[in-house]
Amino acid sequence: MKSIRAKIIVFAAVTVAMQCVTSTVAKAQGILGGHVTGNVQFDGQLSKRDTIIGSSDVPEKLLTNARADILYTNGNFSAGLRYEAYLGPMLGFNSQYTGQGIANYFVSYKTQTFAVTAGHFYEQFGSGMTMRAYEDRYLGLDNALRGINVTYRPWKGVTLKGLVGQQRYFWDTKGLVRGMDAEVSFNDIITAWNESKTRFTLGGSFVSKYEEDETILADISGFKLNLPKNVAASSVRMDLNRGGFGLQAEYAFKSQDPSIVNDYIYKNGNALWLSASYSQKGLSANIQAKRVDNMGFKSVRSISGEMLYINYTPSITKQHTYAFLSMYPYATQSTGEMGLQADFMYKFKKESLLGGKYGTDIHINASLITGLDTTVLGGKGTEGYSSSFFGTGETYYGDISLEIAKKLSSKVKLTATYGYVVFNPVVEGHAGDIHHNHVAIADLTWKINRKNVLRFEAEWMGSDSHYDPIVDDKRAGDWIMGLVEYNFTSAWFVSLSDQYAYKDGVGNYYNLSVGYTKGATRLQVGYGKQREGIICIGGVCRNVPASNGLTFSLTTSF
Amino acid sequence: MKKSILFLAAMLVFGFAMSQNAKLPENISIKTLDGKTVETSIIKNDGHPIIISFWATWCKPCNRELNAIKEVYEEWQEETGVKLVAISIDDSRSASKVKPHVDGNGWEYEVYLDQNQDFKRAMNVVNVPHTFLIDGEGNIVWQHTSYVDGSEEELFELVKKLANGEKIN
Repeated sequence: MKSIRAKIIVFAAVTVAMQCVTSTVAKAQGILGGHVTGNVQFDGQLSKRDTIIGSSDVPEKLLTNARADILYTNGNFSAGLRYEAYLGPMLGFNSQYTGQGIANYFVSYKTQTFAVTAGHFYEQFGSGMTMRAYEDRYLGLDNALRGINVTYRPWKGVTLKGLVGQQRYFWDTKGLVRGMDAEVSFNDIITAWNESKTRFTLGGSFVSKYEEDETILADISGFKLNLPKNVAASSVRMDLNRGGFGLQAEYAFKSQDPSIVNDYIYKNGNALWLSASYSQKGLSANIQAKRVDNMGFKSVRSISGEMLYINYTPSITKQHTYAFLSMYPYATQSTGEMGLQADFMYKFKKESLLGGKYGTDIHINASLITGLDTTVLGGKGTEGYSSSFFGTGETYYGDISLEIAKKLSSKVKLTATYGYVVFNPVVEGHAGDIHHNHVAIADLTWKINRKNVLRFEAEWMGSDSHYDPIVDDKRAGDWIMGLVEYNFTSAWFVSLSDQYAYKDGVGNYYNLSVGYTKGATRLQVGYGKQREGIICIGGVCRNVPASNGLTFSLTTSF
Repeated sequence: MKKSILFLAAMLVFGFAMSQNAKLPENISIKTLDGKTVETSIIKNDGHPIIISFWATWCKPCNRELNAIKEVYEEWQEETGVKLVAISIDDSRSASKVKPHVDGNGWEYEVYLDQNQDFKRAMNVVNVPHTFLIDGEGNIVWQHTSYVDGSEEELFELVKKLANGEKIN
């Protein structure tokens, strides 16, 4: 039964893909005066067990993730549905996704002043510290709300939003979330400020969740906890700009919210985020600071894992995409952290001393994240801990990277990067020594002519970490990597890469990939061992799961 | 099972229905770099072609594409009147770095933030970079995903055709 379904899905995906490939340009289809557009994604892997990279044996041999979004638009009206099939889910995806069906559907009506969506929707208030419903298809993360979302603009420059819904939990919906948000652009509502160079926006949000009571016992007394049925979070934010200067800030507060995230303590939560920047042509500087204290906010208090989060606390560290710089990615500790980040970019002009004939770009980024300075007050059912606002605890993460990009001739471009990463395994939930890694990268693009482009990447990582079979962190040790990518026009590419632990580590990740792109259709086939993470080859970037064997991926938009 | 067959049938019907160009949506909320909410109807170019490029600060091919076009943008504009509109899909982790990133790179494009990815979903963008070509009447006439050094020249050939009133396919 399952295999017949799988075949139908495969057939459907291939049919649509073929239609798009065979028509010279993928076009929308006209139906009843409106338009149908959509996108299809089909990923599969024939994975073999490999204890070294952590891929496991797969009884069904072939794992597939497939989805199709179909969107109908007619003037102000739109409707969409998404069919998802995980038969079985690919490695790195939660096994609770196993199954297929219509995972997302909505109808929506939007004008310049009023918008309403019924069904599934994604929404974000401010930077998301009180509310963010979003999805990342490659990470298997989808916390869409199913309910009603309304936006209203009573006057120019004023945006009001309201929503009520339940959150997606794999193939189910859970919780009850209510929220509202207001944003005012002062340059629009105050006539005298219309033309002002200073732009000022203020916003505020209020979000509340409701849950029924349940029995959770306190640690020592054994008494049942008196759980709040309603928990509220609220925030204020501002955005101030004048010429090249920009200042953004948001402060969020959350009421008592004992949950599995904070181990059922009754402390209030809060978070502060600040960003200041200055930029002009060829120069920019940005500084960010953040303090998060007990801000994990889930719609169901007793379910752990990455699903059911109502809010999102952004990480302020740089999103690295080179393999060894992103090997130890930092994730926000919503239970508590302090962070600072600085970013600087400068362009040495053409014909200047350091610029040379084509100019030189430098990019420096540094960040440091620590825990909070806390004093433990008790366990479950108590205030939990107290924290000082400016005090810092142990180091969680730090990195500094320097990137120099230079065109060596009209055909050759080189990007050289040095990075230093300090990583505390406690942020991934296990104890161990802090790692210190040096990373050096050379990335060279050689445009032989209009149709033939070669790219080479060499990376090295020296680390003070050693592979330990008990901890089983397969990233430990010293690594080297090489990558060669050949692009023939914008349609074809072949890439060959290898990552090898030459000292104190285990693992050899070789990979051969071939890809074909035509218009918005892209087919990629790979063979080898793949580490999970962001991979940028053949001209696009995407997150990929760990795998060992044959992988293929087809995406198309029409 | 029944669902699957219905789904398959629906796909086939959609696939073989009359082809026709979709319009650029006008009612999706995006943000300017100074924090103001606007609608996608703001994307206009007096009847000249528009290139819409979905990108992110962390996406290397996107940056290579936008930097390559920067070198020839003035010539492109003079020759065809084309305008490039860059839509950043950076989320709140990196959204506040978009303006410094754009200025630091010296890009003269019109840039908007699509933090909630409403515009990205409406345009069926799966991976970045994803580039669209819009004709003078607001029809989406061409799209492409990925960037390889030199493919901006292929894009410009199409822009020139559009500016001369030729059909693209």
